[in-house]
Amino acid sequence: MALAEVAESAPRSAVDAHARPSGRAGLRRWAFLGVVPFIAYITIFLLIPTGELIVNAFRDTHGHFTWSNVDQAIHGQNLAAFGFSMQVSALSAAMGGVLGFLVANAVLHDGIPRFLRPVLVSFSGVASNFAGVPLAFAYTATLGTTGLVTSLIGHVGLHVTPLFLTNLLGLSLVYLYFQFPLMILLVLPSIEGLKKEWREAAANLGASSFTFWARVGLPVLAPSLLGMMVLLFGNAFSAYATAYALGSTGLVTTTIGLLINGNLTLNPQLAYALAFGMIVIIAVTVSLYTLLQRRASRWLG
Amino acid sequence: MSVQTTPVASRLASGGEQRRPWSYAWRRARSRIPLWHLLWLLVGALVFLVPLYALVQYSFSGLASGQSPFHWYLTVFDDPQFGTSFWMSLQIALETVVVGLLLMVPTAFWVHLRLPRLRPAMDLVSVLPFVVPPIVLIVGLIAFLRPFTWLIDRPEVLALIYVVFALPFLYRSLDAGLRAMDLQTLTEAAESLGSSTARTLFTVVLPNLRAAIIGGALLTVAIAMGEFTIASLLAFNTYPVYIYNIGTSQSYEAGALSVISLLLTWGAMLALFVLGRGGRTPTQTGIIK
Amino acid sequence: MSSVQLRALRRTFGETAALQELTLDIASGEFVSMLGPSGCGKTTALRIIAGFEYPDSGEVLVDGKDVLGLPANRRNMGMVFQAYSLFPNMTARQNVEFGMRIRRMSHEERTTRAAALLDLVGLAAMMDRYPRQLSGGQQQRVALARSLAIEPKVLLLDEPLSALDAKVRVQLREEVRRIQRQLGITALYVTHDQEEALSISDRVAVMSNGRVEQVGTPAEIYGAPKTAFVASFVGTMNRFEGTVVSQQDRTVQVGSTRFMMANHGFERAAGERIDLYARPEDVGIAMITNGPEPPPGTFEGKVTSVTFLGPVTRVGLMTDLGPLLADVSSAVALGLSLDGRVAVKLDSASLRTIAG
Repeated sequence: MALAEVAESAPRSAVDAHARPSGRAGLRRWAFLGVVPFIAYITIFLLIPTGELIVNAFRDTHGHFTWSNVDQAIHGQNLAAFGFSMQVSALSAAMGGVLGFLVANAVLHDGIPRFLRPVLVSFSGVASNFAGVPLAFAYTATLGTTGLVTSLIGHVGLHVTPLFLTNLLGLSLVYLYFQFPLMILLVLPSIEGLKKEWREAAANLGASSFTFWARVGLPVLAPSLLGMMVLLFGNAFSAYATAYALGSTGLVTTTIGLLINGNLTLNPQLAYALAFGMIVIIAVTVSLYTLLQRRASRWLG
Repeated sequence: MSVQTTPVASRLASGGEQRRPWSYAWRRARSRIPLWHLLWLLVGALVFLVPLYALVQYSFSGLASGQSPFHWYLTVFDDPQFGTSFWMSLQIALETVVVGLLLMVPTAFWVHLRLPRLRPAMDLVSVLPFVVPPIVLIVGLIAFLRPFTWLIDRPEVLALIYVVFALPFLYRSLDAGLRAMDLQTLTEAAESLGSSTARTLFTVVLPNLRAAIIGGALLTVAIAMGEFTIASLLAFNTYPVYIYNIGTSQSYEAGALSVISLLLTWGAMLALFVLGRGGRTPTQTGIIK
Repeated sequence: MSSVQLRALRRTFGETAALQELTLDIASGEFVSMLGPSGCGKTTALRIIAGFEYPDSGEVLVDGKDVLGLPANRRNMGMVFQAYSLFPNMTARQNVEFGMRIRRMSHEERTTRAAALLDLVGLAAMMDRYPRQLSGGQQQRVALARSLAIEPKVLLLDEPLSALDAKVRVQLREEVRRIQRQLGITALYVTHDQEEALSISDRVAVMSNGRVEQVGTPAEIYGAPKTAFVASFVGTMNRFEGTVVSQQDRTVQVGSTRFMMANHGFERAAGERIDLYARPEDVGIAMITNGPEPPPGTFEGKVTSVTFLGPVTRVGLMTDLGPLLADVSSAVALGLSLDGRVAVKLDSASLRTIAG
């Protein structure tokens, strides 16, 4: 094969261009063939199914165009499901964002031994993958009716309602388990981007730690942090397995599950519409994240 | 590093020393032992560890007298379905890794080498699976694959689907690995010595990518072995589905099974950690939620 | 303005002693540089004064009063860091006003002072630019203005010019000195660049291994080094060994040449080995024009290297004193060729010994 020619690299010697009789344009077209398998794969297993579901969201059982699926999706119980999903996502994202930030900031502090950082990163990797059915069991063992923590705080007089794990706060606490490690992994590089000199210069000019964070630290990190919390929102919004295993039914995801699996509740048209709604919401969150990250790189980059 | 929290009194006693406020010693101590940060590390550790501890403890409880503490684990091992579901998950996971690597290694290599202008587009495409989470994808897949009954009845279809979700992690891992090895310079050097592109790929690039490949593979295995949504909705009895089904009636066994699942993920992450020391590990997020 | 005294500062990090008994006095309005190689402790000392580090023992006094008891944000010292210290989310003007806002100065006072300071550093036109829109040199000027805005008692500068281009460095160091003189502010300047230290300081403290090797004016440091380290660290120094011939006459024999040491207190006994030092610029070279013998008062040397340095040329010589470096004007050096024979002239008056 001829010498590799890379489109954007530093100009190579003129010899390369001459060595290829097909010319530069021909080579580049041929080079695209290399990504065909990849494109084909995601087309078959990602793009087409997604496209079909979006189209089907607007089709009735006879295949005619209709708004009724979407209409059903945004009313009544389904609207409540969107609402509940968004609340849980927002709460777990906020909690995960704040806790993740505080922990990441802690491990990067000067006085903390260096070895803790890779340990934290590994634990975060484990925890953010430990979701779904095992996580549901772990939390049932912790905060369920006979859970470890439930009995502990029972001694103090506090009471945990039986369905705690499926209500807003309880489910958010469960989601926290994979939200806050994700935040840690996302936010560590950003916090490192906060130059030590800024803190010291601020102190030197008379600022307290609080003033530094209020005037410099948080303003600089804000777009980045917000973006990450938006990502966390999308992350929680997509969650199915954990909620299903806990028996939570008020979410969009579990509703969809019932609609395509249940014998009594089978209603694929509505499922398409709900799924379409999910795509819209998540697409918005990903775009927001990208926008905020771009903004963040201006100051931290 | 010695921590000196000399009380004021002894400083005066040493003679000629300035009298400094308590706050000085306090601040100096705090600069060596930061309390606020230790507090949050503790909170983080608790949030991580308490549910794990509760789970493990649960798997060792509910025992009648005379039973071994590992009773539930032993019961589980006796169940033939444990073996079959675990083996099925493992098989699928390995298939996912093979297909994923076969697809992504040449693609990543090619894009890096010949089509660097596509890199931003690739970054975008590798984020797509996040926009279409499992629960959404399965809705579309059921409609799309319904006519292909020969495919949808075989567990291998899960592997093919999981590749889509492993894609972002595989790509990111390979991308980081390729960037770290300065692919341009290496391939130029190889080709100036007469090597063909294919030969360069196999003898130069792949060996240097070993860590990235293994890292990506481990993540893929973790994802595939823990995936529940699609497996359950397509009615395959993979390991997570098995845990769930057991859990509906036999909670202690399910607890034991979850601990086993946890140990597996830990094992994969530990391997990743050992590998990643010195290099960068890609951000690891779960899609199993 | 304020005087600063450092007394017996010690700081150990694990196994290494960053500072060992550092003692230094800085008079009010003085510009003192701490000069030394990396790891000599100069930055640690500065950070202790600023309040970012704590010493294991010792004192820091400003105007006779202990400041170690104060946290960093109450010491009222201005500090200019090496790089990256401007707050990225604020314009140059907002950066300069930062300290003033904390001291709750009125809006009017802040704006007037900020404008005046930015004008002083020559950046009035860039007031509303963000740090990323400024060059390295401009950023450091803003940093300087910002630290002066709080009217500090002492100005601390931690290698502020190290990250800048050579030409900018020369320009800026003059300006720093000019501003310091104009405001009469006490300044402590840390650097590893001796040219910088020698050109702008009232006094220089040469440091090594956590200790001050010598404190003096730039001329003293350069012309009369007191330790071997200072002699070799500041500028280039030739060193060769000789034997004392007579203590009374203060004569030393090196090779086939006899030198008479002039005014230094000479306490070596006859027969002792002694180290002699000479600066390259004090070593003269002349062509050998007639005859095999070098002219009287000179000794013979062979040219081993010729390095063009711009204003001077450094000539490496092999003589029977040993290897020598001579700095000669580039015009003279034109006639030299490798392995050529030259007459080397070295006055006894330019020779130094180091006590101890």
